[in-house]
Amino acid sequence: MKMILTIIFRLTVSCLIAGTIMGTTFVFTNKAKKANEHAREEKVMYALLGYGAGQEPDEGTALHEIFRYIVADGDSQSIGYLLPAGHHGEEAGFVFVQLSLEGDFVSKTAIPLSEEKAREQGDRDNAVQTALGSSQIARFVDQVMVVTEDGSRQAYLLSGKFPGYKTNISIILALDPAYSIIGFEVMEHEEDPGLGAEIEQDYFKNQFKHKPLEKIKQLQVVKEPLPDEYYNALEGKLELAAAEQIMLQYSDNDIYAITGSTISSDAVTSGIRGMTKKFAYRLDTLEKVLEAQQIGVPF
Amino acid sequence: MATDKSSLQLVANGILKENPIFKLALSMCPAVGISTTVINGLMLGTAVLFVQVFSSVTISLLKNFIHPRIRIPTYTLTIATWVTVIDLSLAAYFPAAYAKMGIFVKIIVAFAIITMRLEMFACKEPVKSSFWDGLGMGLGFMVGMVVIGFVRELLGSGAILGYDVLGFKPLLFFILPSAGFFVVGLMMGFFNWIETYYAERKKR
Amino acid sequence: MRGRQKITVYILFLLVMGSCGLAQAAGLVSDTEFGADNEIVVQFSIPVDREVAGDPENYTVYEESDPDIRLPITAVSLSSDGTEAILSFADPLNTTAKHIVTATGIGGVEQSTFSVSKSYFGYLLSILLSALIINNFVFTKYLGLCVFFGTSKRKETAKGMGVVFTIVIVVAVSMSWVLYQYILKPFSLDYLQIVIFIGLTSLTVQAVDTVLRKVNPILFKSFGVYLVLVIANCVIIAVPLLMASNGYNYFETFMLSLGAGGGFLLALYLMSSVSERVELAKVPPSFKGLPIAFIVAGQFAMAFLGFSGLQLF
Repeated sequence: MKMILTIIFRLTVSCLIAGTIMGTTFVFTNKAKKANEHAREEKVMYALLGYGAGQEPDEGTALHEIFRYIVADGDSQSIGYLLPAGHHGEEAGFVFVQLSLEGDFVSKTAIPLSEEKAREQGDRDNAVQTALGSSQIARFVDQVMVVTEDGSRQAYLLSGKFPGYKTNISIILALDPAYSIIGFEVMEHEEDPGLGAEIEQDYFKNQFKHKPLEKIKQLQVVKEPLPDEYYNALEGKLELAAAEQIMLQYSDNDIYAITGSTISSDAVTSGIRGMTKKFAYRLDTLEKVLEAQQIGVPF
Repeated sequence: MATDKSSLQLVANGILKENPIFKLALSMCPAVGISTTVINGLMLGTAVLFVQVFSSVTISLLKNFIHPRIRIPTYTLTIATWVTVIDLSLAAYFPAAYAKMGIFVKIIVAFAIITMRLEMFACKEPVKSSFWDGLGMGLGFMVGMVVIGFVRELLGSGAILGYDVLGFKPLLFFILPSAGFFVVGLMMGFFNWIETYYAERKKR
Repeated sequence: MRGRQKITVYILFLLVMGSCGLAQAAGLVSDTEFGADNEIVVQFSIPVDREVAGDPENYTVYEESDPDIRLPITAVSLSSDGTEAILSFADPLNTTAKHIVTATGIGGVEQSTFSVSKSYFGYLLSILLSALIINNFVFTKYLGLCVFFGTSKRKETAKGMGVVFTIVIVVAVSMSWVLYQYILKPFSLDYLQIVIFIGLTSLTVQAVDTVLRKVNPILFKSFGVYLVLVIANCVIIAVPLLMASNGYNYFETFMLSLGAGGGFLLALYLMSSVSERVELAKVPPSFKGLPIAFIVAGQFAMAFLGFSGLQLF
């Protein structure tokens, strides 16, 4: 009996010590983790927009976030967009614009929320839910970023996740105001090295550059060898002018699949196709409503 | 009963005589799974090194407190704690490298090599030699990983540490996932051959 | 005995009724499925008005997660008896997602809403098959190798180890799921995953050990040795981690763990069959034992690469 008690006592003490160590580490690392993740995303975003190391974005450059919610009211659903309110240069909190599924205006609610708080999902969701009341339930779906320079739009940044060959692939995609692709960056993937992992390489990623929306809508992969001159242009091995020339020549082509990883290539291509198509449709609908209802936004 | 080996001997023992990968053939999963580049090997090797050293020292410190009947559960708890600590820290401070290693950092908890060292060494020896033994085992694992990573990266993508050294890719096969088995098997055979070769030369 | 049979029949009956009830929730629509790449096939329980049901304008279709994006229908073709409609879409559909179809005015009903999705059972089977063959933990994820090489020399050991492992993993992962779903997730204690999962595994091993020793000592004599090895197998910790990161529900978790265990058994059995042969072969002395085993495993891994990308359901 005494032995059992000692065992229990010692085991409890060990567990307590272990728990304390892990808990402390968690508390310490969690903040750093969030900060680093954010920093990494920001770095990738700026890189996509063409601001490399040492090239700081201008004073007038600003990022505005649009958060999309699905609002359920009993059986019926509507889409809610949480937008920063006020025209360029004004600070007017946020506004929650609800659209019906057909894309018609339903309602508009002002939401008092600071920009920092809007970034924290918990705070944001609470604010939206309180504003809507208890009869409607809002569920956060995704967010996009609009990049402006002195009030004029420069680019859209969307992050997305889609199933790849093994697990999900998550990317950040940059589009210009006409929905042509500026570029994309793979954030996470578990594709096979030497095969599917090649989606990270320039010769694959840069093929998507400058594709216009009309082309993206029908973008496919082709199982043909990548022409040498195109490869060199994509990898940045040629001079700028010559590379531009070749890029232009191939801009109407489909995406050349990576040798031995058609499935990964196809997953990325159709993922980007779906993201762009949906985003373009949604933003166009939203903009029509904003214009008709004269809701001012800073972008 | 303290070991009579010096710290240097303990470290060398882990790297050469009882190398966890090539000699003991334990903890093979990452050696096959993510040894495609030198840097991967280094990163995971460091993680294992830390877990091994911390666990060895902890167990050695607490060896009088641990009840012999619940020895193994306590080892598991200790290892799991340190793996969690390493896992969280890596995820926080080296997110890019952590993403590459995927599930393998968490799997360190099931590595036979760490439990084995605790059972065979740390629970009997003083803190100082346990530290050196843990260091030796961790380094041995790291060296193994780096050597395999070196071969695979050089032959598979013609690069070392990400720098293109050959200018061409000799055999893409080596970087493919299933090649890990071949590389480990061939290298084990090669080391065996060297050993027998020298043993025979000594005899003569 | 008969009582038990009755209960089984009753449960089966309930299950069948349940699944029918789901499909027929709309009344008018008896069955829906995905046809070709860009088609949805709808079966009506009664012949419908050709005029109304043949007009693409009368249907709206969207994916459940994107209710605001309507999928454009290019044509609707009705069968001659008017009980089947095939909706064709401009683009290929994402058949992994659930699609919601709303039909207006068809069959005299003002508005009927029904959903189209792949059968859930097929999805479960695909998880099982994926863990078993396509993403075999040993040959494509390179986990559990220490135990794999240690116990794949004889067919008898291979079978024993595989069976014991499958039992332990199913039990341990089921418990992990409960704990993860109801304690770790609600209280955001995600960082305790590793400790909890490995702890539960040790607990299961200990429990199986004690129970088997008491209940069936003969079985324990032949299988007891493998129990200790289970804990040193990385697969046993990888599966619950995978379960947690994919957010599986219980049935999916069960299928995953069963597939992982079965896959390990399969790998062991295949490997031991070859190992028994290799022993008779003339292997260079420095390659005897482990080195040649690794090379054989490499060949298996390459063969298993052929399964990748396979989609059955």
